[in-house]
Amino acid sequence: MKLARVVGTVVSTITSPIFQGRTLLLVDLLEPDGRQAGGYLVAVDTVGAGAGETVLVLDEGTSARQIVGAAYGPLRTVIVGIVDAVEGPASLASVAAAPGMAAASVPRKPRRARARTGADG
Amino acid sequence: MQLARVVGTVVATVKAPNMEGMRLLIVQPLTRRLEPVGQPVVAADALETAGPGDLVTIVAAREAAEAMPNRFVPVDHAIVGIVDAVEELRP
Repeated sequence: MKLARVVGTVVSTITSPIFQGRTLLLVDLLEPDGRQAGGYLVAVDTVGAGAGETVLVLDEGTSARQIVGAAYGPLRTVIVGIVDAVEGPASLASVAAAPGMAAASVPRKPRRARARTGADG
Repeated sequence: MQLARVVGTVVATVKAPNMEGMRLLIVQPLTRRLEPVGQPVVAADALETAGPGDLVTIVAAREAAEAMPNRFVPVDHAIVGIVDAVEELRP
């Protein structure tokens, strides 16, 4: 899995059936310390990730299809988690906060609540 | 998946048996800001509707073959979506 940040959406009406009705998000790949690693992916969102959130991205087909309950189809890249914090020598205290937001002490439940109310816009 | 722009078509009369009838297009991979990046690749068009100039999503590796009607084909890049819009999200 990879660390990434949600930076955009992709709208696609004509797609392979496995993508129909699913949200495609643009994610920038990140280093463990929150810096951009270079590169991006278009990923199917399965967790309700929001703009600026740090997420876990899975980039392997068999696992990806398992998550959406599909036996086959060209699905490979899926957002499987929202990251609250990355700890350890390679990281900052938290990468959950978006650029410009306070990086320190981002409690779990308030963070989700804030995302839903849209107060971060 | 990545974003790519269709920049050409490929005609190949002699192909591996399972590739008969397959639409092959040349696609230029793009950054998320839609600037060209890396080398163009030949991708199978799983949708049968993409054409030069189209902004598309492509999938690479084994999952590319999964996009085709016959899943056991020698395909390593496939076009799996035609992109209507790429929108930047700001937190």
